[in-house]
Amino acid sequence: MADEASKINHDSQLLLDQQFLRLPYELLRKNFRSFHVAFETQSTEIKNTLKDIAQKSFDGKLSKQQADKELAQIQNKLYNLKRKLATSTQEEDRYFDQIAARSRETREFLTLKTVDDVKYEPWSRRRLNRYLIDYCLRHGHLDTAVEMAKNAEINELVDIDAFVAMDKIQRSLRGGSVQEALTWCKENKKELRKMQSNLEFMLRCQQYIEMVRTGKKIEAINHARKYIIPFSDQYREEVETICGLLAHGPNTTIEEYASQFSPLRWHQLADAFTDAYLKLLNLPNAPLLHIALFTGLSALKTPACHGAGNATTASQLSAEDTNMDGVDGVNGVNGVNGTNGTNGVNGTATGRHKHHHLHGTSAVSMTRVCPTCSTELNELARNVRYAHHSKSRLLDQDLIMLPNNRIYGVERLREYAAKSGLEGKYKDLITGEVFEEAKCMKVFVT
Amino acid sequence: MSSNVKSLLDELDKAQKYPRLSAAEESLDHLITLVSNARKEIEASSDPHTTIQQYFPLKSLPTDDPAISEHLPLVNRAIIMHLLREGQFGVAATFTKELQEEKAQRYHSAMGDKLAALPSDELQQRFAEMYNILEHMKARNLGPAIAWARENSEELEARGSTLEFELVKLQYIWLFLGPSVNGLPDDANNGTFGAMCYAKQNFDRFVDRYGADLSALIGALIYSENLADSPYKKVFDIGSKFEDVAKLFTREFCSLLGLSAESPLLVTCNAGTLAVPYLIKYMAATQSKRTEWTQTHEMPFETPLPDSMLYHSIFVCPVSKEQTTDTNPPVVIPCGHMICRTTLERLAHKNSRFKCPYCPLEARADDCKEVIL
Repeated sequence: MADEASKINHDSQLLLDQQFLRLPYELLRKNFRSFHVAFETQSTEIKNTLKDIAQKSFDGKLSKQQADKELAQIQNKLYNLKRKLATSTQEEDRYFDQIAARSRETREFLTLKTVDDVKYEPWSRRRLNRYLIDYCLRHGHLDTAVEMAKNAEINELVDIDAFVAMDKIQRSLRGGSVQEALTWCKENKKELRKMQSNLEFMLRCQQYIEMVRTGKKIEAINHARKYIIPFSDQYREEVETICGLLAHGPNTTIEEYASQFSPLRWHQLADAFTDAYLKLLNLPNAPLLHIALFTGLSALKTPACHGAGNATTASQLSAEDTNMDGVDGVNGVNGVNGTNGTNGVNGTATGRHKHHHLHGTSAVSMTRVCPTCSTELNELARNVRYAHHSKSRLLDQDLIMLPNNRIYGVERLREYAAKSGLEGKYKDLITGEVFEEAKCMKVFVT
Repeated sequence: MSSNVKSLLDELDKAQKYPRLSAAEESLDHLITLVSNARKEIEASSDPHTTIQQYFPLKSLPTDDPAISEHLPLVNRAIIMHLLREGQFGVAATFTKELQEEKAQRYHSAMGDKLAALPSDELQQRFAEMYNILEHMKARNLGPAIAWARENSEELEARGSTLEFELVKLQYIWLFLGPSVNGLPDDANNGTFGAMCYAKQNFDRFVDRYGADLSALIGALIYSENLADSPYKKVFDIGSKFEDVAKLFTREFCSLLGLSAESPLLVTCNAGTLAVPYLIKYMAATQSKRTEWTQTHEMPFETPLPDSMLYHSIFVCPVSKEQTTDTNPPVVIPCGHMICRTTLERLAHKNSRFKCPYCPLEARADDCKEVIL
């Protein structure tokens, strides 16, 4: 029987990978635009100075030395422009390499027809690595991301630089500096305006708040005149609050004003910047791994994964050892497990625990350990809903009910009985009880 | 005098030929025009960005779900365990270090955050052990694997695992094939004689469970001269046996740690990419109807999963169309048909007789048995 669900629908399968294919194009455009702007301003500047000196020398107001100096300056400007062009070209080449690598990767994907294809495994492993790197980059674990990309040899398939740039500005904001973010706003002024982003306004307000905080009132007023008042049509309320700060000062107890002085504002700014940065590059605002994990876990999860039968196996292989790192944090995280507080958190069975969980897992040797039951993801999966199924799906055909009311596939029962050297009898795959075949009963699932 | 005038005129003529600034302006203008034209050309030629917009329009993805985004410590732990099981100990160490540094920073900042419970060093040691054994297997040295299986033989046997026997069997075959194949020193420990000695020392403990297999292995000794024509040819064809046993070993090793053999992170992400289109479709549908999810435990839409991603049997009651759970378990009617507990309660009021929804037989609720699937 062909497994319909294993067929790959390439279009919809690439939905999550959109950013990998699109981002180089976005960066290509950004790179082009940034040179475009530099060229535009420089060339008009040069043209104007040239005209100017030509006119002056015509009028006899320019000495030979002066003319030479002016021309040397122009020459310099042109060299600078050339240098900028060279770096932009280099960057461009890199993006084109990335695009080539990614289209190769996508082409390879198109050759895969089903998820059972032997080549699907290495390909999907590379994809997982890309998700993991994306996750690390977005959460600021930059060293890990770089090392992962290097080890997996997929530098061309991930966008380290774009996220490193984002991280740098995020960190500067969390560290209490607006300068880097303002520079970025300036570079992307047009696009930000198109997006109706209030980031620049918020940054300007923060500068103002810091001035008020340190008592530099005159400076604050001048700053507000220049950078905040122009926004007063757009952000009337905010501007009014901001102006009010001057009267109340940093020690105010009025919630509305006090909250403006909160250090949390820096984190809000960092988040606002992140949103704007991602939106500008058309990137999804959640790490791809989050989405993949959520959809994946909820597709795989069954009522059995956190059911009573499973709780024992999962918890018994947890380590009670206290010498392990961070065990104290565990209970706070899961909290739901009724019988046993530590739920497989350290993920390793020490020698003495192994004997415990034996009885619970003997059947597992014949089935595979489910990803949502496995220690890695079991706790995380607790928070998602289980998958909806409209039809029964059984692992085994031809079910047999043993007298202890446990049901197994007849083939597995026979196999296990044979392995245990039993004839005319079945042995329970989990409990190990042995029953006469005659006392067992066929079960039908419609 | 006239010669003076003449030379002055000559000088002036020369001056006419001096390079002029206006020439510089002209050539610069020319330059700028050239570059501008080039740029216009670039702009006019299909901009890759517009092309991608056209052929690959941006589709919005589901937003972050708190089930994941509020449990990052659990995600981080899963990633570390994934890295360990993949043998990426260096990356795992870097990641752990970065997490700890951030944790330390967060203690000082206003942002309170739950602590990440990180996997232990012991887990790393276990996986290091696993990779060490696998390395040896790759180099055709089964010694460490056999030692491990022997050490854990009680647990393996209880799981119904054949690993230990498979390893010993392969070792026997490997020795049997002799120095020309296995490249081991040609001495009394190798070849048919070596295999025989090995069998004597090791086969005893498997006689009960694998008697038939063992006699085949021993029987092959008779044919050692012309194995290729013997009925044992297949048994002794080394083929991918080492790789197969390595796979079995990895699975058993992980199982004893309570872990699946395939990385759950990998399987889950693969399932996730299969499920994303369905979630998007569902979101679009509910958005237009302005409805919300009502079922709190169950996802509101179905993602068809391939058989390879099915890990538990799923029973959907044919009458109520509900999945069975701990609180609503499956029930078998004496005729052998299965329904769920709630359906049974609906069918059989106060233990009265009811007809099976699928066959003519009648039964009472008391005769039905709650089962474990």
